[in-house]
Amino acid sequence: MNDLDRLRQILLEEDRRALAAAAQRLDVAESRQHGLADRLPQALEAVQSGAQRERFARAMAAPVATALGSAVRGNRHLIIDALFPIIGPTIRKAVGEAMRGLVADINQALESSFTLRGLAWRVEAWRSGVPYAEVVLKHTLAWQVDHLFLIERASGLVLHRASAPELPALDADAIAGMLTAIADFVSDSVGRDGGDTLESARVGEHVLWLIQGPRANLACFIRGVPGSALYARLQERLERIHAAIDAEGASDELVASVGADALDLTALTRDAATAEPRRRTAWWPLLLVILAVVAALAWHVLRDRSWETRMEALRTRLGAHPGFVLTALDDTRRPDVVVHGLLDPDAAPIEPLLAATRAAGGAPQLAVQGYLSTDDAIVLRRARRLLAPPDSVRLTVGGGVLGLDGVAAATGWRRPRLRAPMIAGVREVRLAVEAAASPAEFARAELEQLARQLPEIKGTFERGVAAAPDSEAFVDALAERLRGIEQQAATAGVEVTLVAVGCNDATGADRTNAGLREGRGAWLRAALIERGVPAALIRVAGDTDPAFQDRPLERSAYVHMELSSRP
Amino acid sequence: MIRATARKICMLGDFGVGKTSLVARYVHGTFSEKYLTTVGVKVDTCQVARPDGTDCKLVVWDMAGRNGVDALAASYLRGASGLLMVADGTRAATLRTALDLLMQARAVVPDAAAVLMLNKLDLIEHWEIEPLTVAELRNSLPVFETSALSGDGVVRAFAALTAKLPA
Repeated sequence: MNDLDRLRQILLEEDRRALAAAAQRLDVAESRQHGLADRLPQALEAVQSGAQRERFARAMAAPVATALGSAVRGNRHLIIDALFPIIGPTIRKAVGEAMRGLVADINQALESSFTLRGLAWRVEAWRSGVPYAEVVLKHTLAWQVDHLFLIERASGLVLHRASAPELPALDADAIAGMLTAIADFVSDSVGRDGGDTLESARVGEHVLWLIQGPRANLACFIRGVPGSALYARLQERLERIHAAIDAEGASDELVASVGADALDLTALTRDAATAEPRRRTAWWPLLLVILAVVAALAWHVLRDRSWETRMEALRTRLGAHPGFVLTALDDTRRPDVVVHGLLDPDAAPIEPLLAATRAAGGAPQLAVQGYLSTDDAIVLRRARRLLAPPDSVRLTVGGGVLGLDGVAAATGWRRPRLRAPMIAGVREVRLAVEAAASPAEFARAELEQLARQLPEIKGTFERGVAAAPDSEAFVDALAERLRGIEQQAATAGVEVTLVAVGCNDATGADRTNAGLREGRGAWLRAALIERGVPAALIRVAGDTDPAFQDRPLERSAYVHMELSSRP
Repeated sequence: MIRATARKICMLGDFGVGKTSLVARYVHGTFSEKYLTTVGVKVDTCQVARPDGTDCKLVVWDMAGRNGVDALAASYLRGASGLLMVADGTRAATLRTALDLLMQARAVVPDAAAVLMLNKLDLIEHWEIEPLTVAELRNSLPVFETSALSGDGVVRAFAALTAKLPA
């Protein structure tokens, strides 16, 4: 009799007697079934090989199915442990396929959201050769395994453990024990038929995965949001450990080595990060970027070419401008432009030439210095300004040769004649000016000169008797030339008669055209009278006046001057 | 099979016998005692010297007071190498409960070593358990009179249990 039996005799004598009586009754019942176990296998074998095989199978189908269901309900752990090596890979494969589909959907969704960040990730994926979905997960679903415990399922004791290097030490045995107790508690409390187990928990940014095996569990403490690949890798490692445990003749050292390898955090993280299958890289975002860059470059080149064209046109205009020498055109600060050059004081202003630059939004600046131009047009302007010749003297410049012809008063012409050769840009002077002997003669010569010039000063009409927009300037210039003509005629001793002549073009009826000629002449006469020309001096050319039968065929009007001796 | 370096010890006894107090100063506490009333167990660890001079790490599962081993308690007992049975010397009924629990635990962990701690030695004048009964118990398993208040006998009880654990 051992210690426990003696203990039972002391404390449980009455219970023992009751149990012994019950055992005796059970023995009697068992004796009736004695031998059934020996006879049953033989009977089953006989049925399997006999003619009643099919009938027996049909008869056994229902009770076997019921028994299997009962076994699953009553011994779920046993069934799960037996099927674990088979269903583990199957489930993992199915889950893996589902996750790949999910990742593909996420990838597609992200591809459709065309953001700068998405583009940057796509460039990174293209550059590194890593699938785009993995790059997205790396940036958005970052995780790190803090602790990994291999825990003996029965006892809750730690068999192996691995922790991230930077973390503080912890009592792994106590944690593993408590975790096992809580898992048992949860399973006992809320697990259906005791078959469901605690698989995961989340606290703040930490996730706990508890992966169950027949003999050992893996507890994985993760910081962040882990991907499905990590779970699959953990399951693979747990299966590898169980395969080593169950292998025939496996030594403790070998099993321990497999366990240590399986819990290598560096390898685990690497495997999980590269678990997603490589897929064909989508090129369209990159092409889109390239197209955008090319479009931007093309726009820049076109804008640059347009600007260059505009600058070239400006350079041409400035180069052709008389009295201006372009030394530089600075457009480094577009659209602002700085024009450097030399400008003769007698040259026309160059500001109007810069209007196109202003229209382009720029602010042109002039940086010019004075100089004396030898351009014929500028020399002519300069000669007119310096010599101030009377209207009876005509100036011409060609190849540096200044020509003067006409009639001038002898007293007033001496000084300009001496000054002409000294004008800058004049290398030779050709004089053909006839010096008038008396004021009357000079005045007559001037009037004759004016009579020759007046028909060249014409005003134009658009339609009817409506003068063109520049008619005011034309009439002003004509009135200026005629100012003092009455006094000049008196000096010359002649009578002056002004005739306003209206003209028309070749179209239209004769009657209409006659009216137009009359109307345009009358309009010119009225305009000149309004500007101070004596009304007695001017008349309108009659349509039957023989002196004006051959009028120019154009829509214009001019003044004809007739000189006659005074009675 | 890979063998864990630590050993699992389960502490069992009736309500109020002083299990938690017995180990309060002896173990390295990590978790709050609230787990005793919620989960029904609290796991602590401690280092104990073996007779050969080597250290052994004990993982002590302090199970909430109970008078029977239900399914949850059975799951807590699985894999235990040693059992620390605790009874209150001032209440004879707790001894019967402790022995009852011991026999039920044996059904789950038949090979586990066991030690009986008769607690509240500091109240020896009020004990209901007779010395004769104690002497009889010593023939069946190691028995230690302990005091959670003074700490008497606690270390010896743990050392005795550690000595009986497999290496």
